[in-house]
Amino acid sequence: MQTVGQQLIITAIPTLPALVFLVLVLTGRLLKENAQYVAILGVTISLVFSVFALLFVAGIVPGGGEPIEFSVNWIDLGLGGSFPMGVYIDGLAAVMLVVVCFVSLMIQLYSGAFMEGDKRFAWYYAILNLFTASMLGLVLAPNFIELYVFWELVGLCSYLLVGHWYEKPSARDAAIKAFVVTRIGDAALFVGIIIFWATTGSVAFADVSVAAQSGFIGGSLLTTTVILVFIGAVGKSAQFPLHVWLPDAMEGPTPVSALIHAATMVAAGVYLVARTYDIFVQSPTAMLVVAYIGGFTALMAATMALVKKDIKRVIAYSTVSQLGYMMLGLGLGSYTAGFFHLYNHAFFKALLFLCAGSIIYAMDSYNLFDMGGLRRRMPITFATMLIAGLSLSGVFPFAGFWSKDAIIAAAYEEHYYLLFGMALLTVFLTAFYIFRAIFLAFTGEPRTEPAREAEESPGIMTGPMMLLAFFAVVSGWVGIPEGFGLPVRDYFSEFVHPSEFAITTFGIEAHAFSYALGGISFIAALLGIGLAYTLYVARPELAGTLGSRFSWLYTFLDKGWYFDALYGATFVRFAMWLGRATRRFDRNVIGGLVSGVGRGTLGTGGLLQRLQSGGVQNYALFILLSVLIIGVIVGAQYAVLVVGLIALITITAFAVGTRL
Amino acid sequence: MIVAFFFLTGMTLVSALGVVVSRNVVHSALFMSGSFLGIAGFYVMLNAPALAAFQVLIYVGAVTVLMLFGIMFTQRPQARRYRTIINRQFWAGLCVAAGVGGFLAYVLSAEDWGGLQAGNGPRQVAALGRDLLGVSSGSEIFVLLFEVASVLLLVAIVGAIVISRRKVGEGIDSRVEE
Amino acid sequence: MPPRVQQLIDALTATPPLEGYLVVGALMFAIGGWGVLIRRNAVVVFMCVELMINAVNLTLVAFADYLPNAGGLGVSYAVLVIAIAAAEIAVGLAIVLAVFRTRRTVNVDEITSMRG
Repeated sequence: MQTVGQQLIITAIPTLPALVFLVLVLTGRLLKENAQYVAILGVTISLVFSVFALLFVAGIVPGGGEPIEFSVNWIDLGLGGSFPMGVYIDGLAAVMLVVVCFVSLMIQLYSGAFMEGDKRFAWYYAILNLFTASMLGLVLAPNFIELYVFWELVGLCSYLLVGHWYEKPSARDAAIKAFVVTRIGDAALFVGIIIFWATTGSVAFADVSVAAQSGFIGGSLLTTTVILVFIGAVGKSAQFPLHVWLPDAMEGPTPVSALIHAATMVAAGVYLVARTYDIFVQSPTAMLVVAYIGGFTALMAATMALVKKDIKRVIAYSTVSQLGYMMLGLGLGSYTAGFFHLYNHAFFKALLFLCAGSIIYAMDSYNLFDMGGLRRRMPITFATMLIAGLSLSGVFPFAGFWSKDAIIAAAYEEHYYLLFGMALLTVFLTAFYIFRAIFLAFTGEPRTEPAREAEESPGIMTGPMMLLAFFAVVSGWVGIPEGFGLPVRDYFSEFVHPSEFAITTFGIEAHAFSYALGGISFIAALLGIGLAYTLYVARPELAGTLGSRFSWLYTFLDKGWYFDALYGATFVRFAMWLGRATRRFDRNVIGGLVSGVGRGTLGTGGLLQRLQSGGVQNYALFILLSVLIIGVIVGAQYAVLVVGLIALITITAFAVGTRL
Repeated sequence: MIVAFFFLTGMTLVSALGVVVSRNVVHSALFMSGSFLGIAGFYVMLNAPALAAFQVLIYVGAVTVLMLFGIMFTQRPQARRYRTIINRQFWAGLCVAAGVGGFLAYVLSAEDWGGLQAGNGPRQVAALGRDLLGVSSGSEIFVLLFEVASVLLLVAIVGAIVISRRKVGEGIDSRVEE
Repeated sequence: MPPRVQQLIDALTATPPLEGYLVVGALMFAIGGWGVLIRRNAVVVFMCVELMINAVNLTLVAFADYLPNAGGLGVSYAVLVIAIAAAEIAVGLAIVLAVFRTRRTVNVDEITSMRG
């Protein structure tokens, strides 16, 4: 990055939304509904700059072709080291920048109509922009500390946005739950960062990776630290066992769910693993942990999504499941495949949420069993949701197929057959639950009055949806592998790939496209769609009988495998008890001490007040008594006198005491 | 001389006790003047007859009369019981006073004064006058002090008049017109 | 004169020791102090204060007589003390009268408005 102009452009990418945040916070009350225009302007410019950055790194803009790097010294501790703040954009970051800016722009356009009439309209846009700025900053970070700063900011924005409608107690609780659960991950991440800093002396990703290679961190310590960092990713990306916050976070407005809990914030965990891949690959154990947790989460969340009545919850569990896929891909060494899935997922998942939001806007209800027959009344929503569902299920030739298939193929070809089986089963379940939702909502007859009256959403909402639908189809086409027989290159793999070091250390091999595996996953998806069709369109009564026959299984899945209950009975109860004990301690001991000082002073004052009797002769008595005492002390060489006078004084004291 | 000493001691101390324990205020005043007379006698024994004269004139003469005037203006019926004249500090006061008195007496008599002889007092008035108002070495300061004392007496007179002035409409003079 | 009578006369006409006067002064001071502490009538308290002043005066004059290098100045000092005591009585009794006028009492322990 040579010229100052180019550096300014790159710096403006996260700074502009931050400025919009400040402006909206200060003038939001004046702007009211016009806040959206300010916000959209800011994000559009950021998007343009991000595209510029992408083209620069790809080499299309002259002078580029290499990753962008520059930084300034932020905290300089002299001998203790220094923490720079900077920018590092390689292929991974460039793609992520564009994705974040684009999805954010779509969401902000959509929110103009969805949040119309909201009491805190400008504040909503302000925090949305703060979130965008933080996410962009996170993507740009070249070292752990800067990443952590923006990581925390992103978590804060999530809290604020989930609790946007804080008049609802469920929203408040959900916001706190989101924050607290991710906090566990954040704490682990911070410990990991500190260990890295302590052992290697630096927090930059490149430095730590090099230091780890040179043996600054021993084998098991490295594994532990990397797993700690991964726990941070687990928290943020809602993987098992910290997945419990994401379904509850659906209490927030739907555009928020689309932006934060589908496309960007939850992707931060995956992004972190990808960013620090050079460190991860040095610990095969950690990679295994990543892969298995990813795979297990994918399967687990898919099962939980099977029985949900709330359309947003279905999509939320789907997000958890797909993030599991991405982690699985990264853990297996398919860096490109994992990130490719993240990139595709951003589009179709955001689109799914926006469609759900469109239904809610029209019908004011989340419940799938309130809907029905909406395809006649809301055709655009139906079409876009259908496209998104097909992409999610991994149906050829939609975008999701290419990335999902790459991961499944990698699982098979790396000989992780258990993970392969889990992934394949998850494909089947994914197709089933998403089409269950689509069929329940759009086919058949309307089940309630609002469903009968529903109307298509305004253009500003359907516009972004259609644009996202377009991308949900074609976004995968930049990564079609060579072996497919089309005259297109696999642009994505060329652009986003692990470093040479990672490839050699972990033994990552490129796999040619396998028709067999692709066919297997495609068939699994079609089977899932077919089952959903059978149960919900052709013979709906079958669903009812199945549900009652396996009611215990139904409840188990519906309650999220009883994770919430488990956590509630153990950690939450303990934390509440601790809180109550602390409050009691604070009130009684510390408060008692403080007010005790006051009471003591009052008491002493009260005692001393009795000396001030107002009678001169009392005072004269005290004076003479004091003179006597001083005289005794001074004349202590007259020993006999002393003894006698002490006796006298004692008697006097009693006399004074009783007569006063 | 010792006889005189003991006689005067008894007179003085008994009168002092009388001041304190007498139920009639006027009796207290008279006991007080008796005590002053005893002191005057001591002054004579201590070779300061001029001072004895001053003592009798001022104390027995003026101060006693002043006290009697004070009693007259603040008349109270004679107390029947000791409770009326003694406050609650009887025993405490006794202990403290006895302590102070005993302490002083013991310290003063246990101190070694080194075989002194009496006889340094000013036997003649002229000697007293020279000490008080003269310019011999060591006594120059007393002229100043004498003058200051005069001013003090003037201030005291004026102050006494001001304090005890009768103000219109106050207390028992509430019906007096200016 | 028989020697024992002579002895008696000598004994009776000897000068008292210094300590004698001092002890008398101390005792008179103590009695006056006791009176100050226990009498309720303000005028009687004054009288007791006078007793204390006179006791101190007695001690002063005793020292003046017995100490060789005092030069007899103690007596001058005593004169000034008398003057000051007189002034004090004048003002003090004026105050007692003023208080009596407003509060109709000369009992010292009934004047406690400075309590607390």
